[in-house]
Amino acid sequence: MLKVDELNVYYGRIHALRDVSMQVESGKVVSMVGANGAGKSTLMMTLAGVLKPESGTITYDNEPLADTPYKVLAQGICLVPERRRLYANLTVKENLMMGAHLRKDRAAINTDIDRMMDLFPIMRERVKQYAGTLSGGEQQMVAIARGLMSRPKILMLDEPSLGLAPLIIRQVFDTIIQLKQEGMTILLTEQNAFQALEISDYAYVLETGSVSLHGPGKELLEDTRVQEAYLGIKQKTVKEL
Amino acid sequence: MQMLMQTIVTGLAVGGIYALMAVGYSLIFSILNFSNFAYGGIIMLGSYMGFYALTLLHVPFAAALALSMLGAAALSFLNERIAYSSLRKRHAPSLYFMISAMGTSIFLENMVYATLGSSYNAYPEIFGQSSISLFGSTIGKLDLFAIIFSLIAIYIMNYFIQHTRTGIAIRAASYDSEVSQINGVNLSAVIGLVFILAGLLAGVSGVFLGMKYMAYPTMGWITNKAYISAVIGGLGSLPGAVVGGLILGVLESLVSVYVSSLLRDVFSFTFLIVLLLVMPSGLFGKYLEEKV
Ligand SMILES: Nc1ncnc2c1ncn2[C@@H]1O[C@H](COP(=O)(O)OP(=O)(O)OP(=O)(O)O)[C@@H](O)[C@H]1O
Ligand SMILES: [Mg+2]
Repeated sequence: MLKVDELNVYYGRIHALRDVSMQVESGKVVSMVGANGAGKSTLMMTLAGVLKPESGTITYDNEPLADTPYKVLAQGICLVPERRRLYANLTVKENLMMGAHLRKDRAAINTDIDRMMDLFPIMRERVKQYAGTLSGGEQQMVAIARGLMSRPKILMLDEPSLGLAPLIIRQVFDTIIQLKQEGMTILLTEQNAFQALEISDYAYVLETGSVSLHGPGKELLEDTRVQEAYLGIKQKTVKEL
Repeated sequence: MQMLMQTIVTGLAVGGIYALMAVGYSLIFSILNFSNFAYGGIIMLGSYMGFYALTLLHVPFAAALALSMLGAAALSFLNERIAYSSLRKRHAPSLYFMISAMGTSIFLENMVYATLGSSYNAYPEIFGQSSISLFGSTIGKLDLFAIIFSLIAIYIMNYFIQHTRTGIAIRAASYDSEVSQINGVNLSAVIGLVFILAGLLAGVSGVFLGMKYMAYPTMGWITNKAYISAVIGGLGSLPGAVVGGLILGVLESLVSVYVSSLLRDVFSFTFLIVLLLVMPSGLFGKYLEEKV
């Protein structure tokens, strides 16, 4: 279990996370919803070891989480960063290899690359192509696959639906559901609050750096405060269902 | 015709050395995004190490070359750890790196002045004045050896960068160092390795430059030619650095022979300025988008 306690993170004088406490139990999908600038990416980057908290604790299975990115990954926590950030100068295959950078099991890495092609069939014809030449949707698939290549215990996805067409967004969420069924623990951030809450076992609402609400995903979907603030345009959809 | 052939071969030999330096310089540029002016100092010290290995230790040439490569690699690594790593950890802007590099370069040069003096040190004759005939023109053995060895060194380096997992990690870190760390790259170790690789090439170029032009404190100035080569090829691109070095070497050699050797450097820098005006991304560059 990943546990965050009273976390405070600053960018210079900007107080980006204020006493944030949350936890991710294994096998669950947990999401962080919130508006632009709420601090979702800041939390993800801090968990990944890229940003250093001013105070607070992060533990994973009761051990303190490392504060250097490659050590965090070695502990089994992998971030798929916002806006995908593939290595545009590397081929799709090389991007996947980078996901497995810490692994030594060469043969298994190759079988995993094959498994990724099964998970995202569109990637198969693109393995030798430079990642920079892919479409946004294809890039997101490669970004998720690159994350999975590390065989993480917890996969953190930062706004995986950002800038994608509705059909592709559906595909991304289907993938998340599939990964969950395979037993993966997932921490997700989304502005697409409706879809995120629907598939989440538990969720937190982040508002200007603090957790304002939390509860099981389905419960938050019913919460009027959440509906007004985050599901405004989705209200109809909720009622139609 | 025969003279043209000879001029081109001489140009390729110098160009091969420019290419070595340009590759080392580009590797560092790609990963840290600044111009490492201290690289010339490392080459100069590599050249001195080769010189003393041959004249004081009397080791065979191959051993002197190896010693110079290892020594320059160690110095290059220390250069990063002492002058840049703390700036890196504080996310300092490139300008600070550049100033630190310039300081290091001046320090190294003056340290050699103060301890070893300002004299020019001629390498002992390794290949004699002997030359061989090829396509009707005579080619110095030193030139031929420099061309072949430079190209082999560059080929091995390129293979490493393109095809090994560590090489892929170097390219990934050059593109996005933050994400590479998230993917498990120990950035400090990778940067250290890049400086070691660049140092190995600095050692080779130092020895070849010493054999061709002698070893002296300000010889690091010649790395300016490496920067020009890198810009010709497209800053940050390794194949570009190689092609740029060869082109510059041959053009300089042609200018020296057919125009005037006094105009050689005037030509090189004019060429650089014109190139930056008409083709800022060079032959292979995608203008800082795709590096290494
Ligand atoms: N590098 C930075 N320097 C200074 N301030 C920053 C930096 N990155 C983020 N911030 C600020 O921190 C706050 C939280 O930003 P963050 O990126 O975590 O939000 P977010 O919830 O991920 O937003 P979005 O949905 O737009 O991705 C914002 O007010 C932002 O302006
Ligand atoms: Mg964000």
